[in-house]
Amino acid sequence: MTAAPHAVLSSITRKAAATAVISALLLAACAVAVPGRVWSNLLLAAYYLITVGTGAAVFLALTNVCGAGWNAAFRRVPEAMTGVLPSAGIVLLAVLAARLPEYAWHHHGEHGPGTFWFKEMWLSPPFFAARAVGIVLLWTVFARTLVRNSQRQDTRPEPSGRPVNTAVSAVFLAVFAMTISAAGVDWIMALEPMWFSTIWGVYQFSGLITAALAVMIIACIVLRQRGPLRGVFRDDHLHDLGRLLIGFSCFWMYIWFSQYMLIWYSNIPEETAYFIRRTHGPWGPIVLSSIVLNWLVPFFVLLPRSCKRSERVMLKVAVVVLLGRWVDLYVMIFPPVVGDMPVFGIPEAATILCAGSLSVLLFLRAFLSSETVPRNDPYLSESLQYHA
Amino acid sequence: MSDADAPLRPPLITGDKSLSDITRDICVPMERKPTGLWWAAFLVSAAALTVGVAAVWYQLVTGIGTWGLNRTVGWGFDITNFVFWVGIGHAGTLISAVLFLFRQKWRTAVNRSAEAMTLFAVMCAGIFPLIHMGRTWLAYWTLPYPNTRGPLWVNFRSPLLWDVFAISTYLLISAVFWYVGLIPDLATVRDRSQPGLRRRVTSILSLGWDGSARTWHRYETVYMLLAGLATPLVFSVHTIVSMDFATSVIPGWHTTIFPPYFVAGAIFSGLAMVLTLMLIARRVMHLEDYVTLTHIERMSLLMLSMGCIVGFAYGTEFFMAAYSGNPYEQFVFKNRALGPLSGAYWTMVTCNVVVPQLLWFRSVRRSLPLVFMIAILVNVGMWFERFVIIVTSLHRDFLPSSWAHYIPTSIEIATFVGSFGLFFTCFLIFCRIAPAIAIAEVKGAAGLKKRPAMRRVDAQSSAVAPGTVAAETAKPAGVS
Repeated sequence: MTAAPHAVLSSITRKAAATAVISALLLAACAVAVPGRVWSNLLLAAYYLITVGTGAAVFLALTNVCGAGWNAAFRRVPEAMTGVLPSAGIVLLAVLAARLPEYAWHHHGEHGPGTFWFKEMWLSPPFFAARAVGIVLLWTVFARTLVRNSQRQDTRPEPSGRPVNTAVSAVFLAVFAMTISAAGVDWIMALEPMWFSTIWGVYQFSGLITAALAVMIIACIVLRQRGPLRGVFRDDHLHDLGRLLIGFSCFWMYIWFSQYMLIWYSNIPEETAYFIRRTHGPWGPIVLSSIVLNWLVPFFVLLPRSCKRSERVMLKVAVVVLLGRWVDLYVMIFPPVVGDMPVFGIPEAATILCAGSLSVLLFLRAFLSSETVPRNDPYLSESLQYHA
Repeated sequence: MSDADAPLRPPLITGDKSLSDITRDICVPMERKPTGLWWAAFLVSAAALTVGVAAVWYQLVTGIGTWGLNRTVGWGFDITNFVFWVGIGHAGTLISAVLFLFRQKWRTAVNRSAEAMTLFAVMCAGIFPLIHMGRTWLAYWTLPYPNTRGPLWVNFRSPLLWDVFAISTYLLISAVFWYVGLIPDLATVRDRSQPGLRRRVTSILSLGWDGSARTWHRYETVYMLLAGLATPLVFSVHTIVSMDFATSVIPGWHTTIFPPYFVAGAIFSGLAMVLTLMLIARRVMHLEDYVTLTHIERMSLLMLSMGCIVGFAYGTEFFMAAYSGNPYEQFVFKNRALGPLSGAYWTMVTCNVVVPQLLWFRSVRRSLPLVFMIAILVNVGMWFERFVIIVTSLHRDFLPSSWAHYIPTSIEIATFVGSFGLFFTCFLIFCRIAPAIAIAEVKGAAGLKKRPAMRRVDAQSSAVAPGTVAAETAKPAGVS
């Protein structure tokens, strides 16, 4: 069963490998010329990929705890998506290590840290670094465990279903809620150390799960077109993934708006600084485009039932959402690093191509390393006959 | 449940029921004379309601100076109770609309009573802001319509006005959704009843339901659309209630996590109330085969997850207060945990975060007395949560000279007791006049095979989903 997919996917592999090599060389050249910009690009790319991988694990965990059966047929796709985790995590840790001293917060007043003692302690380099390593480790270990337990069914069927994975999933979801909040605060919010917002962790989650669903949709469609999931991944599955995408896209908008509106309404200077920087001047249109890409397009395009069942439409919308995720992260990360003028040039393009092609390679390697369908899953027949 | 469902799935109803058994089991408690237990419960509720009516009358005549509010604590019991009751309503819409869209078939056993509960809870909630207006008879001034009051016009920038719109929309859509869901069952009651008042009323209310395939088709389309419309309401209502606080600049009130945190809290408290009521109702009305341990377990799991989200939000608020370095934020949270009202705070944490963790254990989730006790404690905890948010954030102002304490008066307590009276009185009447479980939906979702008893059902009731009667396998009612 694994020989055939190898053959049909080899052209993708070759193209991705070539793109990865060329863009990596380009990026290396940029790193010499503009190291600051390459650093923020690498932070964005590594965070993007690690959250997509973790998002896939969250999808697996959520469907496990809900006792869902519909997704069994294509479960190997989100499982393979977690293959990006250790590599993206290592890159992320390297990127953070390069700027570790800058993340630290020091009080420069006359009277010692005062009410800022907690911030100083929280962002102190050893604690910051230990947390980053811990978060990456936890995500990787939990994702690995979920995938390994599921793949073990291929050789050792468990008629009782997936009780072990259900328990692991429940614990993972609890751990994930705390770690994604800490990750969001540490790696992104701390770029502007005076600013804070309690909804930040939920906001990070909303973007993460939307992007993970978009990648899942693209991967499932391509794998169906190329063969491995032909006859397995059905329009009904696509329909449900489309429903989830439109739902979580609305959730992202809801969280984005809640944060913006409450800060705008209360108008407290220490909070509005974040949005003034991003909505006044040249960053304004980019913030608006993030809303168009992340919510307006998926919401209106995916409302009709026929669009959620159309490969062509879903593929395009998923690409738009992935673009939107990049713009969303770009607006979070770049203003404090590059200043008042948005930039887009060779470093950005090279990073996107490099990260994209490498993640395709990692995904395919993970996908081809196991059976493409979990054939002993007790929910498989339910999933194959399922009507949306 | 279709044939394709995995064999692992537990049955939705137990006791090997035929379709006619379902109709009979659900209709009989409603058709026979009320039991002594019902009368006892009704009398207690009605007594509480009477206390409430007397208290409200006294407040209307005397004014809201009868409350314990002062210049520092301008919101106390009134708004706490308002948010508490609005929250209770949320589980109804969650179960009826959101779980419908997620095709959670087990919802069919509890959606009817949960929706009824929503309506009654929102009614209870409405009492408090109405009285709080002071001149309740001018409540219609909150509606923006062309009038002759000169410059008197509603302030569209005020979240309190958004509340008026959000909650009245919520009440309206919930009522329509509940009624539409009732139509096929009202037809069943109509077909079962003897000529008389019950028959006349159900004939009118069931809108000439004939159970034809075309009727079902249209009905399912309407139900689906209403579920789609009601889903955003689950979020919008409590989001806007949270904005009553979060749009201010008061530490403890102004925090961006409030919208999703309030929604999760509302669903949490609503599920606790649904569990409380259903555990009693299934016992009293002998519905153990319909509201099974599986149902109780699933609702417990939902309650556990909501409790974890709420606990996570409490933690986030504390973390961010410390991280922000803002001395006022830090003071408010220190004051919550260690100040004069710390008892309320720790009651909230214990009931909402610590106790529900017991539900991680399957044996606890399947123990009815334990689930009942946890649900009651969550109800208590969620009331205290609103009290903590509202009163502890206010009572120690920016200026220590204006610090004050808040103690509710007997009138406020009596009004709160009265709201419980209203809620339970309405619920008890509901159990007598409408099927407490959605008969048609349960039949559609239960996946029963054709049995000899079917012919009798056909004659008896026109309200069986065509999928269940015509085909060998049942099709879930309302799933497109």
